[in-house]
Amino acid sequence: MAVVASTSQPHHTLWGDAFIRLRRNRLAIAGGIVILLIGLGAIFVPLISPYGYAKQDLDAILQGPSWGHPLGTDALGRDVLTRLFYGARISLAVGLFAQAIVLAIGLPVGAFSAWVGGRVDNIIMRLVDVMYAFPDILLIILLRAILGGTIYMMFLAIGLVAWVNVARLSRGQILSLKQQDFVTAARAMGASGHYITLRHLLPNSLGPIIVAVTFNVPRAIFAEAALSYIGIGINPPTPSWGNMIRDGYDVIFAAPYLMIFPAIAIGILMLAFTFLGDGLRDALDPRLRR
Amino acid sequence: MAPLLKVDDLATYFYTQGGVVKAVDGISYEVARGETIALMGESGCGKTISALSILRLLPASQVKIVAGQVLFDGVDLLKASKKEMRKVRGGNISMIFQEPMTSLNPVLTIGRQISEVLELHQNMKRRETVQEVIRLLNLVGIPQAERRMRDYPHHFSGGMRQRVMIAIAISCRPKLIIADEPTTAVDVTIQAQLLELLRGITRELNTSLILITHNLGIVARYAQRIYVMYAGRIVEHGPAQDVYRYPGHPYTAGLLASVPRLDEPRKTRLTPVEGQPPDPLYPPPGCPFQPRCTYGVPQCQRSKGDFVEVTSGHYSSCCLAQNGVTPWEKT
Repeated sequence: MAVVASTSQPHHTLWGDAFIRLRRNRLAIAGGIVILLIGLGAIFVPLISPYGYAKQDLDAILQGPSWGHPLGTDALGRDVLTRLFYGARISLAVGLFAQAIVLAIGLPVGAFSAWVGGRVDNIIMRLVDVMYAFPDILLIILLRAILGGTIYMMFLAIGLVAWVNVARLSRGQILSLKQQDFVTAARAMGASGHYITLRHLLPNSLGPIIVAVTFNVPRAIFAEAALSYIGIGINPPTPSWGNMIRDGYDVIFAAPYLMIFPAIAIGILMLAFTFLGDGLRDALDPRLRR
Repeated sequence: MAPLLKVDDLATYFYTQGGVVKAVDGISYEVARGETIALMGESGCGKTISALSILRLLPASQVKIVAGQVLFDGVDLLKASKKEMRKVRGGNISMIFQEPMTSLNPVLTIGRQISEVLELHQNMKRRETVQEVIRLLNLVGIPQAERRMRDYPHHFSGGMRQRVMIAIAISCRPKLIIADEPTTAVDVTIQAQLLELLRGITRELNTSLILITHNLGIVARYAQRIYVMYAGRIVEHGPAQDVYRYPGHPYTAGLLASVPRLDEPRKTRLTPVEGQPPDPLYPPPGCPFQPRCTYGVPQCQRSKGDFVEVTSGHYSSCCLAQNGVTPWEKT
């Protein structure tokens, strides 16, 4: 009996196994830590920073990096580092909430389409194709015009544009899973269609969908930055990385760092999410589930 | 007593782009309570489809049951509503599949997958099922069941997964178990263990068993009666021993001659069944085996496949058998 006990593997759940594989991937962990640090900074910036994001100091405008202002000040004398962390709130919120909306729409639509199949599936997927073919930014601008200018409406606009990806992916996942033997086995046990979809198909399709969502986060962050840059995103004085770049553009020759720092911030956060997504993809790869 | 399951003239067709494939072409068979029968035949002869037709679990919408009756306990399953069918599946009739490696859901624990059936059919709450799951795992011979029920399928070997499938199949004390090549994917030593296990359980619960297989050895040992299928039809059926000793159809005789035997000199060459099964889109007229048959007579082209009793309770659809001749009678 002792032999049996010592040779049998430790008990890991599937997600536990995936986490162990993720932990071995240094880039992914680095990405996760960067996201975590930016997130913590965004949450606690009012406690750490002596400046407010809108507090102007007209005696100290366009100053380069110094001890008092590590990343300098902008044209109205506001501390750039402080504003960057406040801007991170917007970027992270856009990334996460827009993805929540994407999941809330894309997953059910894709799953429903795949399970029902036939003509309904065909119609839904052609609509998705139309949405997919339409330029994203143009559609977001259109939705901004319809939905109005609050920040929540921006999450919604970005989410309403990006869900098609997840819908396609979850449909493909479920279509291929439907052919699996365990689905026939579940039907032979007397399980009904929606029971199988919810209990057997969705949990199995989650891995690739989580990966896709992680990869979508940087796209949403970039979309917000682009919208704010062209002036239909976040309204000043609330800082977002997009409208900080926009402000910096006015004084590009006097203080180029005003554009460079937010741009670097966008780059770092997007890269962090991409690395994390890469790691998750490897960790959740079904071929490694042995 | 009426048989538990009576399949009558069942026909299941595939509507493909090339035309209609008669995968199951009017077959009839019976299973008595507590009896084990074997559906035997080579790949593609329709044995799996005929079993899936009983549970109405056909793989695609292009596959349709076009005729026949499936009387289970006197109720025609082909006329049952979807809801009634779901009660029958897993409750009264359960199925064991060929591939243990893919027949279990990879993201649910073994225990959850067994308790799922109990919740569906026995109206048990999840907490109440724990004891029953442990009992079932012990019954199918999985040690340390309390611990192993929290494992995932990928922690189990093929043979153990098939044991879990058996545990799922017997969990609601079905009256009939359909085992579709249950041991094809596991190695020979495990095969014997699994079949002994199935036999023990079916005897204990007085469950009927339909064993679908292409393995003649399994058939001889475990089935009481044999149905031999060829190209969507049953060509011969009868008590297992009689079919072995006095095959009433040249196809059965050919199959038996192609299996190595321990009681013959080792130099004896095996005789394969020459040729290929007919193209399912263009079946030959008359007897489906006639193009490959070495004993063919003109009559075969017009054969309607009517059965004739060869020995007591043992029937063949061969024309020659109808004439009272069995030139292959040798085994």
